Amino acid sequence: MKEVIRVERLKKKYKEHLAVDTISFSVEEGELFAFLGENGAGKSTTINILCTILERTEGKVSICGYQLGKEDDAIRSQIGIVFQNSVLDNKLTVKQNLYTRGAYYGLSKKEIAARLEEFEEHFELNEIVNRKYEKLSGGQRRRVDIMRALIHNPRILFLDEPTTGLDPKSRKLVWDYIHYLRREKQMTIFLTTHYMEETKDADHVVILDKGRIICQDTPAKLKSQYTSNRLVWYTEQSEEAENILAELGDGKLTYEADHYRVHVKSSVTEFLYKHRDKIVDYEVIKGTMDDVFLNLTGKELV
Amino acid sequence: MRGFIGLSKRNILLYAKDVQAIFFSLLTSIIIFGLYLLFLKGNLLNSIESALGGLESLITHEECEMLVSGLMLTGVLGSALITVPFSCLSTIVRDRENRIDYDISATPMRRWQIILSYFVSAAICAVVVTSLLLTVGLFILSGSGELYLSTGMLLASYGVVLFGALSATAVFMVIVLFFRTQSACGAFSGILSAVGGFVIGAYLPISEFSEGIQTLCCLFPASHVTILLRNTLLNGMLDHMNEAVKGLDNGMFVTAIRDAFTFKAKLFGESFSCEQMVTYIGVVTIVAVAAMTQVYRKSYKRK
Repeated sequence: MKEVIRVERLKKKYKEHLAVDTISFSVEEGELFAFLGENGAGKSTTINILCTILERTEGKVSICGYQLGKEDDAIRSQIGIVFQNSVLDNKLTVKQNLYTRGAYYGLSKKEIAARLEEFEEHFELNEIVNRKYEKLSGGQRRRVDIMRALIHNPRILFLDEPTTGLDPKSRKLVWDYIHYLRREKQMTIFLTTHYMEETKDADHVVILDKGRIICQDTPAKLKSQYTSNRLVWYTEQSEEAENILAELGDGKLTYEADHYRVHVKSSVTEFLYKHRDKIVDYEVIKGTMDDVFLNLTGKELV
Repeated sequence: MRGFIGLSKRNILLYAKDVQAIFFSLLTSIIIFGLYLLFLKGNLLNSIESALGGLESLITHEECEMLVSGLMLTGVLGSALITVPFSCLSTIVRDRENRIDYDISATPMRRWQIILSYFVSAAICAVVVTSLLLTVGLFILSGSGELYLSTGMLLASYGVVLFGALSATAVFMVIVLFFRTQSACGAFSGILSAVGGFVIGAYLPISEFSEGIQTLCCLFPASHVTILLRNTLLNGMLDHMNEAVKGLDNGMFVTAIRDAFTFKAKLFGESFSCEQMVTYIGVVTIVAVAAMTQVYRKSYKRK
């Protein structure tokens, strides 16, 4: 696949504070690329640099083949951004907001109208088009934010924590749009988030901590490398049960309320088969991206 | 060009759709009008009529009233030319505080187009609002009597409004670019509204102040703009009064009125003619535009 973003040894320094510390990565066309980290890890700073908003201190960046710092205007026409906080005008209607933003990209009224017609099909635009932006619900606003970012039909969509502060229903709605854009438009999505579960469908995940990349890979590989599965056995506490579980050799054995919980590195199929007469009520819980982050940074994301 | 038009249109829409912003941007003008109705009219009328000194039979009470009303109108227009462009330009601060400028910066619009669109939209709002005030004011005055306003002077008044709007927008643009928060900008706007009326001589004629204060007031192009409006709107009326007197006072009454109500700007004791005032405003505007381009570049460099 074709590489659409290439970042080499990128650094961003604010006086003495190193917000982004020599990071390198690449994004391929059509990928859902997730940038993960807690607040202040350097996610938004990186996005703002890639989107030509912030100047970088060091490093090389190319987007869609254009060099950052030399061909910024060309980059700007290839990217759409959904910012963490809304950047549309409360006092204007959705239509006015989208028409004015479309004009920033040199689109004619006719071209913007055609885009709005396309949006209507997937974003149910008609019901909100003449309403003031300030009168919309959180989910509707996010929907309009995404339309604004897509108004000029960009090749790459940057989403900076797009679901922060949204209720579960609105979050699902936003993710439905993201999946639609990938599936139907083969759009490259660059996502930053601190919701671990949102990265499960990503093609590639980069975990950032204090401005540095601490690991990057597919979610499956990260989980297999940095997490272990957990076996939960619902039984009464007894010496016999603990002896059986000791066979797993992990050592991290806990008893809570009505069950044992033990981390298992290898497959437990054989173990469960061997003790099938004793271990009857159980479940095997797969490692999550939260575990990956916790194991890598020693911190939990909120 | 479409980006420039789009952003300008958006800025104008933001001002036009915010009724509160329009009201507060005209608050000084409304206060001047209120004070005029309460006591300013009576005070000024008494001063003018007491200066007539035996010319009462030649200059009527209605004519004096028209003169006072005309003076009030120039005060209303002069203050609107300060507060309206500033109110429109506060969009820059709001955009910066809410990070809307990030969104604009990430589009292919050129930096000069962005700054120019803020400038043009604020100037357009100021011209439209002040021209409306001028039109409504003249319409009301024409119902009360004759203002002796020639077509040339009428057009010149609209020209001064345009010139004043451009000048005030350029000067305020430089100031607004230094504000980082809306609260700081709002505080400055409050000071501007309170002080602006005095600086342009809307509450009290500038001539009543000491020479130092007169010079200070006349350093601001807004004072020159208001003085130019006094000349374009009221010279016809004063000329008519002078003709009515038929040279009995050797033009002393009208000269005294022109001096008392500041028809010429005074800087360091030197009187400025209308041409000199136009030049002064032009020079300050050009300097402000040059400063604006430098300040904008620096304030928008995202380091």
